[in-house]
Amino acid sequence: MDTLLGDDILDMIEIKNLGFSYQEDGVALSDVSFNVEKGEWLTILGHNGSGKSTLSKLLVGLLRPSSGTITVDGQVLGEESVYDIRKKIGIVFQNPDNQFVGVTVKDDIAFGLENLQIPRDEMVKRIDEYANRVDMADFLEKEPQALSGGQKQRVAIAGILAMKTDVIIFDEATSMLDPKGRKTILKYIQKLNEEGVTVITITHDMRESVLSDRILVLKNGEVLKIGPTKDILLDKETLESSNLELLLPLEVMHTLEQKNITHPKLKEFLWQLSLNT
Amino acid sequence: MKVVIGRYVPGSGFFYSMDPRTKIIALILLMIATFLIDSFALMLGAIGLIVLLMMAGRIGIKRVYLGLRPLMFLLIFTFVFQILFNRQGEILLSRTVYYSFLSLALAVGLVVFWFFTKKFTRFKLFYFVIMVAGLYAIFTEIGNVSPFATGTLAIYEEGLSMAAFIMLRLIIIVTLSTILTITTKPTDLNLGLEHVLKPLKIFRINTEDIAMIISISLRYIPTLLDEANKIMLAQASRGVDFKEGKLKDKVMQIVSLLVPMFIISFKRSDELANAMEARSFTPGATRTRLHQLSWKRLDSVAIGIAFLALSLSIVLRISPWI
Repeated sequence: MDTLLGDDILDMIEIKNLGFSYQEDGVALSDVSFNVEKGEWLTILGHNGSGKSTLSKLLVGLLRPSSGTITVDGQVLGEESVYDIRKKIGIVFQNPDNQFVGVTVKDDIAFGLENLQIPRDEMVKRIDEYANRVDMADFLEKEPQALSGGQKQRVAIAGILAMKTDVIIFDEATSMLDPKGRKTILKYIQKLNEEGVTVITITHDMRESVLSDRILVLKNGEVLKIGPTKDILLDKETLESSNLELLLPLEVMHTLEQKNITHPKLKEFLWQLSLNT
Repeated sequence: MKVVIGRYVPGSGFFYSMDPRTKIIALILLMIATFLIDSFALMLGAIGLIVLLMMAGRIGIKRVYLGLRPLMFLLIFTFVFQILFNRQGEILLSRTVYYSFLSLALAVGLVVFWFFTKKFTRFKLFYFVIMVAGLYAIFTEIGNVSPFATGTLAIYEEGLSMAAFIMLRLIIIVTLSTILTITTKPTDLNLGLEHVLKPLKIFRINTEDIAMIISISLRYIPTLLDEANKIMLAQASRGVDFKEGKLKDKVMQIVSLLVPMFIISFKRSDELANAMEARSFTPGATRTRLHQLSWKRLDSVAIGIAFLALSLSIVLRISPWI
């Protein structure tokens, strides 16, 4: 990402000195600052309790920050603007069952559109279009009990896509899925990002971060490091200090380097291998 | 598979193509009409018409009968109650009732015997009638051995006709409601209800929110049932036996199911509320709707007929010449 071209215009989300605590004593987030550029894919990595889910709830205005500001597309998140900002940021949560509002797939995709007061004709068009986009067009009349976890997550994505938000947050959206479901969802995320949607994935799974542009490592509610994906993925020290592990091919690369076995072709091969996990 | 009484059954026929609003309003109108009818001929006529309508709408009588079956004992109970305690009009039958140790003991014995054997017969209703007949015989004939008290069992004309009336009314009302619920999808029923209840907005009751609550409940019933099954299996693997045990054990078993159910439901609803809010849901806000109801000519005709039936029953009720 080229940030030299006046980053005021390019920043989709700007977070400044964000702090949040659930109770008086426990601090969930403190002094978190970062930017998300338009069209970027940012991964927020962190182990359990690092404050990553709190961060996602703050971003969509489900929680109110104790300090600091969140600016989305030039608009500061506040009591008044929260409804406008929710039109710009969509979020897919972890549990596929607990975000399925409609009685059928069709109803569920329609739910957000009904809230945005989209006229019915437009709604029908968008439901068809976005159900097709996530390959769920054959399931429109199906009830959630008839769907797998991965299919339900795809419906959730279609529901957000249909709302045409500029940013989509995936809050551990693949953690309850089987490997196949996880891969499909990641494929859709990649496609979306290529089409220009700003994506934030929140996860503790390194494999989900390989395709993103940048990674932010969160530890105990603070930003430990933020940087290009490749740099962070290879930064053993940072990852291990926040209870994360290197991807297996990169671990191999690291060990080989320590033993002074270096070969540009081998290195490139291991890097490519890690991208495909 | 367990058949839930009155559950929507996919099918075709004019009841299925009617607007849910029409069906709800017509049901209310016809219920009022049923309560206004006070002659046997009209009541039987009404039943005949309903059967004809069901045949025309291709609704199996058997399905409606299945809806009535759980109410059979209630129907018979009100029937017997009316016969015994309504003492107006001519006496049709009068018998002396003997209360003796023998008759009381036999009666208790018979009821207990019936209670424990009824699950082994396929003809529960018939078996129940036999039991009632047995009780009658015990108190009027067999139990006549040194009675310490006597009474009279009298059946009055008014009692009999009132009993029959109440039974027929209940049958009609249950039949009509069953037709509504088996021909209307829960979501459509909910949507129809939302529209029918709209006048309540005057009292600042938000009918859209009520409809949303009902729709989410409908959505989560299967999910929570699944959850309950999982918890029961989990508890069974820890040694809880849900099938047997004394009353005290049963209470503990239910607690071991309910407590986790409550906690899970609260967690679920919290997450669901977050998901809904994040998708721009605001309670009480105006929303456009994907499901739109369309009023057809069939609906106007149906409502017209229901109104006609109601006004006819009013006229017949207050007119002096019938």
